Amino acid sequence: MNVSLLFSQILNGLATGMLYALMGIGLSIITGVLNIPNFAHGALFALGAYFLYTVIQLVGNFWLALVLAPLGVGLLGVLIEYGGIRPLYKAGHDYQLLLTFGLSLIVTEGIIIVWSPVGMSQLPPPLLRGGVNLGITFYPKYRLFVMVAAALLVLGAWLFLEKTRYGAIMRAGIEDKEMVSLLGIDIHRLFTAAFAIGCVLAGIAGALTAPIRGLNPWMGVDMLGIAFVVVALAGLGNLLGSIVAGLLVGLAQSLVALFWPEASVAVIFAVMAAVLLVRPQGLFGIR
Amino acid sequence: MSGSTKAWLAILAAVVLLPVFVRHAIATEIWIFAIFGLGLNLLMGYTGLLSFGQATFFGSAAYVAGYLLKYYGVNVLLALGVGIAVGAVSAAVVGYLCVQRSGLYFIMLTFALNQMFYFTAYQWTTVTGGEDGMPGIPRPSVLGLDIHPPLAYYAAVALLFLLSLWVMKRIVESPLGKILQAIRENELRAEALGYNAPRMKLAAFVVGGAFSGLAGVLYAMLFGIVPLESIGFVFSGNVVFATLIGGSGSLYGPVIGSFVFIWLSESVSSMWARWPLLLGVAFVVVVLFFRGGVVEAWARFWAWRAAHRAPAAARADAPR
Repeated sequence: MNVSLLFSQILNGLATGMLYALMGIGLSIITGVLNIPNFAHGALFALGAYFLYTVIQLVGNFWLALVLAPLGVGLLGVLIEYGGIRPLYKAGHDYQLLLTFGLSLIVTEGIIIVWSPVGMSQLPPPLLRGGVNLGITFYPKYRLFVMVAAALLVLGAWLFLEKTRYGAIMRAGIEDKEMVSLLGIDIHRLFTAAFAIGCVLAGIAGALTAPIRGLNPWMGVDMLGIAFVVVALAGLGNLLGSIVAGLLVGLAQSLVALFWPEASVAVIFAVMAAVLLVRPQGLFGIR
Repeated sequence: MSGSTKAWLAILAAVVLLPVFVRHAIATEIWIFAIFGLGLNLLMGYTGLLSFGQATFFGSAAYVAGYLLKYYGVNVLLALGVGIAVGAVSAAVVGYLCVQRSGLYFIMLTFALNQMFYFTAYQWTTVTGGEDGMPGIPRPSVLGLDIHPPLAYYAAVALLFLLSLWVMKRIVESPLGKILQAIRENELRAEALGYNAPRMKLAAFVVGGAFSGLAGVLYAMLFGIVPLESIGFVFSGNVVFATLIGGSGSLYGPVIGSFVFIWLSESVSSMWARWPLLLGVAFVVVVLFFRGGVVEAWARFWAWRAAHRAPAAARADAPR
């Protein structure tokens, strides 16, 4: 086994794993607070990537695009929550699922109509092109940036949820919505905020992914499945669990790709199945 | 005449008349999808388990039976039997992992495991043909009857559909069916009565998988190909939608739903390549405005008519 190849695959696994963790945390907040299955999470991820692409086309600045694209996705999230999900809180998971699934179809087809069904590529900003010599291996700068940026965002999400008053309300919302509303907190605003935050995180993950994997309208589908895996392994609203599960899934995927590239995606779900066989409540689940 | 008899007569009439009005392939697809929906409805409507991974069993059965038909020339009855078995076994495996969790976790797990099967089919190109699907599925004679002509195959599928409907009716009216409904209404209470809820849910899963398997094999023989989509999540979503649009609480809901869904999607998809956009819009509109599906919308329409006629009559009589 080539050591430098192994090393760079481990780094790849960590970078994608951090992106998976971002997706998982966003989905976990939405699912935990709003108690809905968000099947649009993957499509919003794709939208983040396309927004990034378009902002770069318009203003030519990657960094600005990296800020604006997720905010755009978050804004759309506010509209979706307000117009679509809010009437459905009491309607049952089947209708919530159908709504978010319908939205994901609309977003995916919308991307095809607005941009094109053909995949596109997006270069990293000039500053982050090329690679750095890490001693053991030569590694692309941009991926290192993604690893660090995603780690910082995960840290930021953790600080927000653990250390701020609003984060505490959000965690309380995951635990017991009735109690939160009895305390005089506007539960609807909480729901909107949680959904928007989840959308922003999905949008960031998408925007960061674009220069690595390029863009295609269906890029969100794989991500949706993986985000579900992360949440199932971590337990709803469990931040630390989402990070560990995200990294685990990312590493499993990139290491299997060394030996058996064809199985590298299916292995994610096999890992989940294996874990659930032993611990049906997930790695960090309580029940 | 009881409601049930009326429903059966209506369905018999539909079976006979459908190929007169609709292209044979579409008419056949409607009943195949109805069998698929019957299986899902046992989970969704009767047990309260929202599975978003039914294509797993549909597609697995289609691939395995299709492979046997194509490369080993097995007879149709054996292929159908194998398909039902594959559907049931794959559902047992997936169900075993899923029934221990409930609510959102359950939905997400069924979807995630569906993805696992999808990617396996996608990557295992030597067997499944990957993205291109598995073409060249034959439709051999069965018991000396040539089912190759479209109308003959329609008749065969329609018979199997009627048989499936009858079996499903027996199942939902059996003690098992009643226990499943009890679990849907109140799982804790059903457990307190001594029923092992996870095991009963697993049973529902296996039966639902068997129906999906049957539908999958029929689908492969209808089009002569097992497309990759047949094991994909969009297929899982379609059958959920078809069942909900028909009304998930009743035995006949999925039948009506698959009629509406297949007929609409076939007519729209031939007009516009981006028809999934309209499908998505339809999902949203139905969810926001027509919850309860066609069955309820129909009832609401008649209630509305009656309400508008009665006051009008009353106003006419009322003294000024």
